[in-house]
Amino acid sequence: MKKLTATACTLLFALTGFTAATAPAFAAEADDIQALREQISQLDQKLKILERKQELKDEAAATAAKAAPKITVTDKVISIASGDGANFLKFHALVQADARWFFNQSGALTANDAFLVRRARIFLDGQFNTNTTFLLVPDFAGSAPTLIDAYVNQAFTPQFQLRAGRFREPVGLEQLQSDSVADFTERSFVSQIVPNRDIGLQLGGDLFNGTLNYAAGVFDGVPDGQNNGAVAGTVTNTDADNNKDVAVRVFAQPFKNDSDSALHGLGFGVGATDGRQLPASGLAGYKTEAQQSVFAYRATSIIQGKTTRVSPQAYYYYGPFGLLGEYALSAIHARPSATGNEIELRNQAWQLEAGYVLTGEDAGYTGVVPKTVFDWNNGTWGAFEVVTRLDVLAIDKKAFAPNPPGLSLADPLANPSRITDYGLGLNWYLSKTVRASLDFYHGTFDLPGGTTTANTTKPLLRNSENALVTRFQISF
Amino acid sequence: MKIKSILILTLAAAFTAAGFAKDIELLNVSYDPTRELYVDYNAAFAKYWLAKTGDTVTVKQSHGGSGAQARQVIDGLKADVVTLALAADVDAIATNGKLLPADWQTRLPNNSAPYTSTIVFLVRKGNPKGIKDWDDLVKPGVGVVVANPKTSGGARWAYLSVWGFAQKKWGSEEKARAFTAAVYKNVPVLDSGARGSTTTFVQREIGDVLLAWENEAYLALKEFGADKFQIVVPSVSILAEPTVAVVDKVADKKGTAAVAKAYLEYLYSDEGQEIAARNYYRPRNPTIAAKYAANFAKVDLFTIDEVFGGWTKAQKTHFADGGVFDQIYAK
Repeated sequence: MKKLTATACTLLFALTGFTAATAPAFAAEADDIQALREQISQLDQKLKILERKQELKDEAAATAAKAAPKITVTDKVISIASGDGANFLKFHALVQADARWFFNQSGALTANDAFLVRRARIFLDGQFNTNTTFLLVPDFAGSAPTLIDAYVNQAFTPQFQLRAGRFREPVGLEQLQSDSVADFTERSFVSQIVPNRDIGLQLGGDLFNGTLNYAAGVFDGVPDGQNNGAVAGTVTNTDADNNKDVAVRVFAQPFKNDSDSALHGLGFGVGATDGRQLPASGLAGYKTEAQQSVFAYRATSIIQGKTTRVSPQAYYYYGPFGLLGEYALSAIHARPSATGNEIELRNQAWQLEAGYVLTGEDAGYTGVVPKTVFDWNNGTWGAFEVVTRLDVLAIDKKAFAPNPPGLSLADPLANPSRITDYGLGLNWYLSKTVRASLDFYHGTFDLPGGTTTANTTKPLLRNSENALVTRFQISF
Repeated sequence: MKIKSILILTLAAAFTAAGFAKDIELLNVSYDPTRELYVDYNAAFAKYWLAKTGDTVTVKQSHGGSGAQARQVIDGLKADVVTLALAADVDAIATNGKLLPADWQTRLPNNSAPYTSTIVFLVRKGNPKGIKDWDDLVKPGVGVVVANPKTSGGARWAYLSVWGFAQKKWGSEEKARAFTAAVYKNVPVLDSGARGSTTTFVQREIGDVLLAWENEAYLALKEFGADKFQIVVPSVSILAEPTVAVVDKVADKKGTAAVAKAYLEYLYSDEGQEIAARNYYRPRNPTIAAKYAANFAKVDLFTIDEVFGGWTKAQKTHFADGGVFDQIYAK
């Protein structure tokens, strides 16, 4: 026991001596560790600061990139825009390569079976300082380049926008639809008795949160279906008389903002014009759906006096289904000659067209956007749509009545009093940009009293018109 | 049917049909830390307006550094209303953008500031650097996190708090300038907005103290945990008065002037004041302020007019290009 106690004492003594000898070394080590910890902490802070600074630098670079000018090239547009989007220039084009084939009308045609370039247009539109926009559209499809649209639009507010230049008069529903998205290759008779493009000044805008659009303008005035400057005897950019036409249109889409409503795609309204035309303004003729000249006033007939048009209109789109209808009444005053009596003519036209997108995409006034792009290798086909249309043009009987002591306004032996046209078409949207169309038009002619298919002097009127019109179109 | 009849009937139908639908959309361009406040407030206002008028109001929010947001509005951002961190930023919209009249501040009570706030310190739990007052910010090794006063409204209030403390303590502009310079020497990184500097301090774990909006500090505690951070209230701070205004030219153009005005006026209602208080903004209404008194620390507050002679003077002297801040922070 004594031996054990002595050993323990020796050990305790040795341990105490060791501890005493090593304590300063331990303390120094602890200080070192603490210093190292602080150093690591400082380095960690420095590293975090550097990382955060880099993060902020990246954020600033991303913000600066947003402000940098943007060049966009997509399958719908080529554009250059300022970073904030307030200024841009966009470049678009439209090319329509058509073919027209007429059946069972040998020798009776006023037009030939033909390939033709129907439209070849370049669109340059832009915006400055958010509120000022412009559009410039030349067409190269004719024998000489033609100016189609050229206007400046100043948006004071969404409700109050002023437009000046050459553009479509706000009247016809189908007439106001873009050429590239209309259901058929050619527009209906309604578009032939409402004015087309004219030069003038228009006030317009969207009211009630975009549910009501209005437009009211003063224009040089054009004959039915015509463009300003497109009539023989007139010159582009001038008015043939000092009188002006007033055009007004209101169009409501009451459920536009309710995307769940079954009436979301409902729109309806009315367009109208009123003005006076002098003799030099000319009298417009009419064409069949397949663009054969079918109605013309006598060369001696002149338009003179008040011209009034009114066109109630509506469309309804629900999913792949679309329906568009409009009516137009054109009341003009004309004389069979400079010394003939003034006669009021009330020509009318209406149309009803329906479409269904077979591949399920939504139909719409602004066209169909295919869910897929045609790709033979991948087996995707784009979108297919079937369309049908019934439209009628009715010429006022007074146009054919003898006007003592002179002639009638139009030759009853060479003109129809009514044209009824049935259209059936298939549209293939290969992509957002490319579309192919195949339309069949069947037109029948009613002749004025006393005229028969035997005595008519215009062979075209002896049979119905049967025509196939095909189109291959690129539009971006 | 006669032309006139067709025209009149269709016009009447079109106008009648279009008149039914009325959905209104407002854009509130605000500063960084008000996101949560206006999420709550917008919902309350939409409910109130629907009950009052039958119209549906949707208020979109845009947030960023107050100065940067003001510049966005001047550059064309279509704000119906602005709810910015300080009057100087709204003044800039009036002066440089000409989008509202110069006397905009007189159109609503309390100089168009429906709630107030102040600047406090957010420190890490346990306050390891022992930060108690503004003097402690200049100690070596103390990392101070605050946003850039050139772009952030909150940061401008923080800068003025630093300066105001020093001027009140030593009574000298020179000493205030030296003290402010010393504080900013301890700022390792300048974010562009208050929310960014909160991210720097809280999530990136940089620095020892965040100079924060009072509501932002409480929000950080609520969101990231009182076990990680604590609020230190300095002996003195500035009375921050975030201001609100209808941007007349935009609202008039959009046809939203009436609802935009009502939107701001409702901030002064009992419900508006309660929402502000619940989001740690000091309400103007004395009854509601008393009800929520426990939410706010007692601190000696000085005004900008008292120490700096108003926003116009403070802006020009301290924050204009080449001003005092640029001189002391040129590193």
